Amino acid sequence: MLEVFIRSTFLGLQLGMTFALIAAGLTLIFGMMDVINFAHGALYMLGAYFGTVIAGTFGNYWLALLLAPLFVGLIGAAIEIFSLRPLYGRNPLYHILLTFGFAIAIQGAIVLIFGGQSRRIDVPTVLEGTIQVGPVTYPVYWLFVLIVSTVLIALIWIGIERSNLGILMRASAHDTEMVNALGIDVNKVFTGVFVFGAILAGIAGVLLGGSRSVHPGMGMGIIIEAFVIVVIGGLGSFRGAVYAALLVGLVTAYGSVIAPTLTELFLFAMMAIVLIIKPSGLFGATEAA
Amino acid sequence: MSQGDSGTSESRTVGTTSQTISRRGYLAGAGAVGAAALAGCAGGEDDDTLTVGFALPYTGTYAMLGESITNGFELYIDEHDGEVNGREVEFVERDTEADTNRGVDVTRELLVEYQADAIVGPVSSAVAMAMIDTVQSEANSIWFNANAGDYRVTQDGCTPYHFRTSFNDWQTSAPLAEFVYDEVADNVCLAYADYAFGVNSKDFFAEEFEDLGGEVVDEVGAPLGTDDYSSYLGQIEDSGAEAVFSFFAGDDAVNYVNQFSDFGLDEEMTQTGSGFLLSGDTLPAQGDSALGMYSLLHYADTLDTDRNQTFYDAYADAYGEGPNVYACQGYDSAQAFAAAVEETGSSDADDLIPALEGLQIDSPRGPLAFNSETHDPVHNLYVREVVEGDDGPENEVIETFEDIEGPTWGCSL
Amino acid sequence: MQWFTDFFDRSHALETGSEILSSRGRLAVAIAVVLLAVVAPVINVFEPFWLNILVRMLIFALLALSLDFIFGYAGLLSFGHAAMFGAGGYAAALLMREYTQNLFVVLPASIVVGVIVAAIIGWLSVRAKGIYFAMLTLAFAQMFYVIAFTDLPATILDVDEVTGADDGLVGVAGFELFGEPIHQLAGLDHRLLYFYMTLALVVVSLAAIVRLANSPFGRVLQAIRENEERVEFIGYNVTRYKVIAFSISGGFAGLAGGLYVPFQSVAHPGLLHWEISGELIVMLLLGGLGTLWGPMLGAGLVVLVEDLLGGVASWEIILGGIFIVVVIFAPRGLAGILISIRNDPSQALTNARKTLRNYIEKVKG
Repeated sequence: MLEVFIRSTFLGLQLGMTFALIAAGLTLIFGMMDVINFAHGALYMLGAYFGTVIAGTFGNYWLALLLAPLFVGLIGAAIEIFSLRPLYGRNPLYHILLTFGFAIAIQGAIVLIFGGQSRRIDVPTVLEGTIQVGPVTYPVYWLFVLIVSTVLIALIWIGIERSNLGILMRASAHDTEMVNALGIDVNKVFTGVFVFGAILAGIAGVLLGGSRSVHPGMGMGIIIEAFVIVVIGGLGSFRGAVYAALLVGLVTAYGSVIAPTLTELFLFAMMAIVLIIKPSGLFGATEAA
Repeated sequence: MSQGDSGTSESRTVGTTSQTISRRGYLAGAGAVGAAALAGCAGGEDDDTLTVGFALPYTGTYAMLGESITNGFELYIDEHDGEVNGREVEFVERDTEADTNRGVDVTRELLVEYQADAIVGPVSSAVAMAMIDTVQSEANSIWFNANAGDYRVTQDGCTPYHFRTSFNDWQTSAPLAEFVYDEVADNVCLAYADYAFGVNSKDFFAEEFEDLGGEVVDEVGAPLGTDDYSSYLGQIEDSGAEAVFSFFAGDDAVNYVNQFSDFGLDEEMTQTGSGFLLSGDTLPAQGDSALGMYSLLHYADTLDTDRNQTFYDAYADAYGEGPNVYACQGYDSAQAFAAAVEETGSSDADDLIPALEGLQIDSPRGPLAFNSETHDPVHNLYVREVVEGDDGPENEVIETFEDIEGPTWGCSL
Repeated sequence: MQWFTDFFDRSHALETGSEILSSRGRLAVAIAVVLLAVVAPVINVFEPFWLNILVRMLIFALLALSLDFIFGYAGLLSFGHAAMFGAGGYAAALLMREYTQNLFVVLPASIVVGVIVAAIIGWLSVRAKGIYFAMLTLAFAQMFYVIAFTDLPATILDVDEVTGADDGLVGVAGFELFGEPIHQLAGLDHRLLYFYMTLALVVVSLAAIVRLANSPFGRVLQAIRENEERVEFIGYNVTRYKVIAFSISGGFAGLAGGLYVPFQSVAHPGLLHWEISGELIVMLLLGGLGTLWGPMLGAGLVVLVEDLLGGVASWEIILGGIFIVVVIFAPRGLAGILISIRNDPSQALTNARKTLRNYIEKVKG
């Protein structure tokens, strides 16, 4: 039983950190632009698919991990500039419809190009096999995913807290006009944040594409989970999203041991209770980013 | 209709073997609501052509299964110059999206709008269950169930129009118990996707296995669509069983099998399961992870018979890749339909039913007949082992159970 | 025809200029209804399947109408309307399989269940504002979905099946009255009968909602949408108004479910899934928010387009593309386009050009 517990803890942390990569973009985009990005799951899926193509063509996983997220970023830029930008200032509702449209269209495009079959990203030989961690055997690759995503999240955390860019991001979310008055192009900041979120989702796609099957439904599958996280953490809060992602990851992992069929129900109930009792989120103070 | 190996094809709407109606023509014919255009596009009204309607998923997770069934069916008709009993065969393909409500809509459309003489599909058992009423109430056409294996289609539906050219879930699980008990281990852990089909399969296996004297030491159910099996694999390992019997399909099968070997469980216990765990739609994504695993199915593309070889070559010729079990099910649906029409000279369901009941089909899977009580298939079941083949891992048949029927579940037609 | 427009008219004692559906609009609705009723038997002879599509269009129009009342009119974005739709549907399925197929028991039961579910969700949710309300309704609807999908009630009650888990409940046969199938009583083909029944219920629902919208109750809702604080300040119990409005909306959604499930002969968890709720919002925006008739048109159009494109491999791309284009270039939806063309046909082209220029400017930043 101890082994199962340890293994679930590993899984929970790994899920938490990869969820955080996805939720970070979602929450930052909402915090700054008031946009509920339904296409975020599709961007995650695109990362995984670009990953399979690059890794398959060049036989190099590392190249995939580097390039695929950048391509996702490019697509994110196009979506932001050509469709979201003209809509700022309108009822945020329109963004839901717009990004919902993108989510459907991107999924359709993937089916058209790749078909509906499962694929997988081949991981490099160094990351194959298992490793003994205490009493449990754990796949090296899963540990790799845990470490990479944790390091990334830590770096972003420090970046947002410390750097000028982070301050600027938080300021733009807080008071768009003020930032504009300082001579900074808010449009560029918005595009930057959207692309950043897209890249993170793309990285998560490549990372998880090595351990899970890559298929067209994966984007729609993860988006609601990501919403749950973002809501529990507090819409717009990066810190909250990271904590909530860890919480959801661990609940999912332990839940799959205790009561697999009830886990999902529990997560939605948690989301509802947080919204009723503390709509700003469990971990979200009043900070914007 | 040429067919690439990608999941979806360009002109996937209406095709006949001799001509392809353009999509625009189809839309105009089927869709111009309000404009009361009275184009007679309903094939059944014309006595010269036979209309076959495919109610299959062409998008979504099961797209590849739908494609394969269609390809198989069309291959047989093409081999006979697009004709059955001198009558031209027209195909109508409609996408169920593996969604229950779409399945009902599509079935209705095929039966009412196109007056299909036969309906082929679906892939998902939930869709099949929902189709039963529509097939019974809307028209009088033969329904070739080319994949949905839930035994309750027979138990609850028990309709004379229904002929299962595929399998039922008892057949793809219970007979494996004997093999596992004799050759692998006398104790197992059950691991299954926690939904109707998965539960049925593991129950059928467990019942048989325990009857033989085996012991089920633990069972682990994972929700449908689980991405990470880490915790479940931990419980399987903890059970201490020597073997595992599993039911997973599609993406779940890919994730489960890959992670089973990622976690090194393949070195500790023997993985066995229903054939869908390791079939044509999952093996390419499972790769080497699947090596050494055993599964039970009514077909294997490596089956070493002349009949299968001919089928394999013809299929590969036509579509650029080898057939899978779904293609075989589609092909056999066409064989059954053609044989019955030829025997009776009619396309009326009431004439076809007795003919189909008495049919002996020379299928690529081996001999195939229908149980006259249930219209479920009577065929061979093969224990297959995944081995290294010329183009990656493939299933090799290591044992054959002949003429398997299974229970009738109170259905007595 | 006069009686028809009168019915809509009679209620609004308040003669403000902003009432929903002008008398011209009502006439248009009446003409459309009569036209459908007259053409239906003809369609049934030549293209019977089109009646199936029409029934589905009507049912989703009703569902869209119910959401537009609470969202477009009262300003509460429900992202969980599938919960009431599915609850009404499951109620119908359970009743018809276990107890009675009586039309006058089943449909009212669907409405009542829709109202109850909406009242519970509404009571728990309406204090949350804007996007938080949307997220709450989403969470509740997804809970219903998971409960139906895993058939939790069966586990709790320790019986074989209640919701039928992932397969749902199949074999939900047609409506009856006095122990006879109603189409036989009416001497009509069952397809035609179902069409007339649905059409009649949709018309009655529309009339009821229009009257409600134009009533004093409706005016308060409208005021809440425009400025909640002020309404509260005047002394209205805003929360109670919202809960009642949400429950009424839920009743109509339940009715839509009660009509849909026996028509399809199956109730399954997909009815409760968020994608239905999402699609509904799409129907509303596509049709034109807050106009009541616009969303109904939008719903019909989405159902039709999905059916027509169903066999086309890239239908998702086309559908998604339509959403994107509509949001960017026609934010007021179909209704907006129709209204602006009616108001000033000569300006249509100029307007289109202006919209495009506007778009390019905004993209440039």
